[in-house]
Amino acid sequence: MDTPTCGAHRPVTLPRGPRKSPSYRRTDLARYVGLAALTIAAIGPLLLLMVWSASREWFFPALLPQRWSVDGWQWLFQGGERIAVAVRNSVLLGIADGVIGCAIAFPIGRAMSRLTGWRRYAAAAAVFSPVAAPPIALGIGLQYFLLRIGVGGSVVGVLLAHLVPTVGYLSLFFLSVFVAFDRRVEDEARTLGASSRQVLFRITLPMMRRQLMEAVAIGFLISWAQYALTLTVGGGAVHTLPLEVFSYMRAGSGNYAASAALVMIVPPLLALAAARYAAGRTVVSPV
Amino acid sequence: MTDAGHRRTVALLGAALVATPVLLGVAYAAAGAVGMTGVAATGFSLGRLSHVLAEHTVWRSVFWSIVVAAVATALSVTAAACAATMFSGRRIVDRIARALAVAPLAVPYVVAGALGLLILGQSGFLARLAYAWGFIASPNDMPAVVYDTRGVGVILTLAWKEFPFLALVAFSLIAARGAALEETAHTLGAGRWATLSRVTWPLLWRGLLPAATAVFIFSMGNYEAAALLAPSDPLPLPMLTLERYDALELSQRTDAYVLTLLGLLIAIVAVGVHEWTRRRAELIDR
Amino acid sequence: MTWFMWRGDPSINRYVDEWVAPRLKRDADITLNPVDAQGPSILSQLAVERQARSGAGTADLVWINGETFYNLRKSGLLYGPWSGRLPNARYVDSTSTIVSRDFGQLPAGYESPWGTVQFALIYDTARTPRPPRSVAELSSWIHTHPGRFTYDQSFTGVTFMKVLMYALDGGVEHFEGPFDETRYREGSDKVWQWLADVRPYLWRNGQTYPDGVADLHRLFANREIDFSMSNNQNDVVTKVRQGILPATSRPLLLQNGTIANTHYLGIAFNAPHPAGAMVVANFLLSPAAQLEKQKPEVWADGTVLAMSRLPDTWAARFRALVADPLALSRDSLSKYARPEVAPQYSERLQRDWRVRIRTTAHK
Repeated sequence: MDTPTCGAHRPVTLPRGPRKSPSYRRTDLARYVGLAALTIAAIGPLLLLMVWSASREWFFPALLPQRWSVDGWQWLFQGGERIAVAVRNSVLLGIADGVIGCAIAFPIGRAMSRLTGWRRYAAAAAVFSPVAAPPIALGIGLQYFLLRIGVGGSVVGVLLAHLVPTVGYLSLFFLSVFVAFDRRVEDEARTLGASSRQVLFRITLPMMRRQLMEAVAIGFLISWAQYALTLTVGGGAVHTLPLEVFSYMRAGSGNYAASAALVMIVPPLLALAAARYAAGRTVVSPV
Repeated sequence: MTDAGHRRTVALLGAALVATPVLLGVAYAAAGAVGMTGVAATGFSLGRLSHVLAEHTVWRSVFWSIVVAAVATALSVTAAACAATMFSGRRIVDRIARALAVAPLAVPYVVAGALGLLILGQSGFLARLAYAWGFIASPNDMPAVVYDTRGVGVILTLAWKEFPFLALVAFSLIAARGAALEETAHTLGAGRWATLSRVTWPLLWRGLLPAATAVFIFSMGNYEAAALLAPSDPLPLPMLTLERYDALELSQRTDAYVLTLLGLLIAIVAVGVHEWTRRRAELIDR
Repeated sequence: MTWFMWRGDPSINRYVDEWVAPRLKRDADITLNPVDAQGPSILSQLAVERQARSGAGTADLVWINGETFYNLRKSGLLYGPWSGRLPNARYVDSTSTIVSRDFGQLPAGYESPWGTVQFALIYDTARTPRPPRSVAELSSWIHTHPGRFTYDQSFTGVTFMKVLMYALDGGVEHFEGPFDETRYREGSDKVWQWLADVRPYLWRNGQTYPDGVADLHRLFANREIDFSMSNNQNDVVTKVRQGILPATSRPLLLQNGTIANTHYLGIAFNAPHPAGAMVVANFLLSPAAQLEKQKPEVWADGTVLAMSRLPDTWAARFRALVADPLALSRDSLSKYARPEVAPQYSERLQRDWRVRIRTTAHK
């Protein structure tokens, strides 16, 4: 049998972005260079941290540690009472701040989405201010008040302090969520006789499950990374992971700092991966 | 009051509630700056306030912090825009590139600072590579990029930290609107370069401006990355603030209140700028 | 029981976390909570707490000496007197001027001695086979080796400046007694002159200085500079074991004399558990704890106890402590030991240094 002619031989491809022309081939080189740069920038530091955490002596000019040891990890898992406390505090603070921050920011963001014009910008500026304030300045400013109400230097005080930027950021988050939200479902339910409360709990919240989880994750991460705020408000008495990383870096115990740093990276990486996975299920995916 | 008016008030009150801690901080710092409160409270006096505001060291610190953050932001915005235009497609290479670009988002400032020291120091990893390849004979030969008055190490570290966030925003912009606009431009006969300069870049530029303002604010106010890499003079503003706050002489505490007030006021102005850029970005949208 | 102490040294941290804390828990059911805080931040924290009238404070025990003690006492932020009541106080070597005076001040029961140290430079025998032995020799060494020496901004750097001051202006006897502004002016001028003279030959041309002694150690270990320093002459011993300093490092005393001082424990005025704090302080003063602390593999910190006052078995154990080959001999230590003088000298040196030397604005 005769083979089919021309068109049928060419594989059918769906449109996939800009079509290739000769000038595009030159940019291919740029793309691969760019890819290499991105790979080094993303993976390189991670590898260095891993090597550093397993080192004991690593002086110039050695490219690899002169002496290896598992001290950095042993300490993390068994010896370090203090580091265990720091991890525990960071995790608990993160979860608490994420959940409470989400609960407070949800109604605020929702209410803000109804604003229009200059009022919306003013409100957005107001809620962004605690996020924008330099943490050291915010910490110094808040320390006095938290001491007055008796929570200075305690985990509760640090929790409240972390809540300040968290609620700010999450309010902005919920603002954008509700701006994009299609109100008509709510309106329809209301015309069918549902009360505001029923609408909220049976329609809106279930529809927002993914965003609520994202908000808790974002709130967790904001609290997780706080340094200056914990330092000032906690008075040094509240140990969290970032404080440990910094003080071990300063004390010259690079391997302890590196293993603590690797622990610090894990939850954000998980959150990123989860967000990508969730976002991958929607049409428009930035990554 | 109408229902809508009622809702508006509630909304504004809610936003004000979120901003209250900042206002409290400003009030306390202001009171402390004039000696009304704080550990060194000596009664109302503008003396220390005017002394600090006239101090050359203070303004050098402020200026240094602003310039370093600005340069870092400029670098990372450029890099993010390039990455977004280069890897805007749907092929596997594009997806891997985008995932890699965003991955360092997971690294907090304190770890970024530690890495900066480890990699960029005169005895750091890059220096050791240079030594192994025979470019330098001792750490002193390596260009000083950490603890230097220009703050190059701080700039690079901050830029590295800011890049994933800006890249994420840039990718969203391209994904949401870029592809459609580019197709339209192509069917109208525009070449690659024209599309880039007339369509893609303005879109990116306007859309990235609010995010860039935000990361600028974060970088300027960050303590831990600067503390690990900055020179001792000029001292970045957050470090100067903490140093005066912890000074053995309690009278230097008043200086810390003034610096705290300064930091908060700069942040408030920056927030205003941020909202203005957002407004511009959204107007272009319509 | 919360203890505000400097946590910048891994060997000290290990001693406290892994030896002291479990024993306190086992024997006295006290849970130790060490908190990272150094002199200025302790003062800061207690002052803010007093200002906010916040009831029970955060700190129980505080690790202090010198200018911190002075400022805390001046502001009434210390609990006491209490240290004379400790059972183990009878073993303390109160005849020694180094132990019985804190920067020339009398503890007067407001702080209990804990350990003694002496300032020393650190050098690498592999890189510097013939190190300078005096301040004058150090100056010429710096001139012939540009970019290989510096000092830090924290308390070790201030001690270095004090060593310079004694050496350049008539020895420590000149500065004894209450603080004297004129003597300070004259002495510090000589120090500024010496520092300005070597400045262009310092690391980074003297434009920037490392933040603390740990940064100094890191620069030294990584060959960016050839000297480090420490308030504890035995830092070399412990840090080489931990891999923080290279194995060829050795301590060095300057023949002009180096400063020996004692560090103490105080109790915060608003301590929630003052009795518990006293129990801990007593335990730390016990022969067992002091012996452990002095071991080269632990901390190598000098003891404040008098051998003559200890029971024979204990005195024998102290004597039997094998000196580490890296450590300096006791004789050279005492020959060159100089006591601290009034705390205001340290404060003024640090403050004036920041204004005169650190700020490069006027250059």
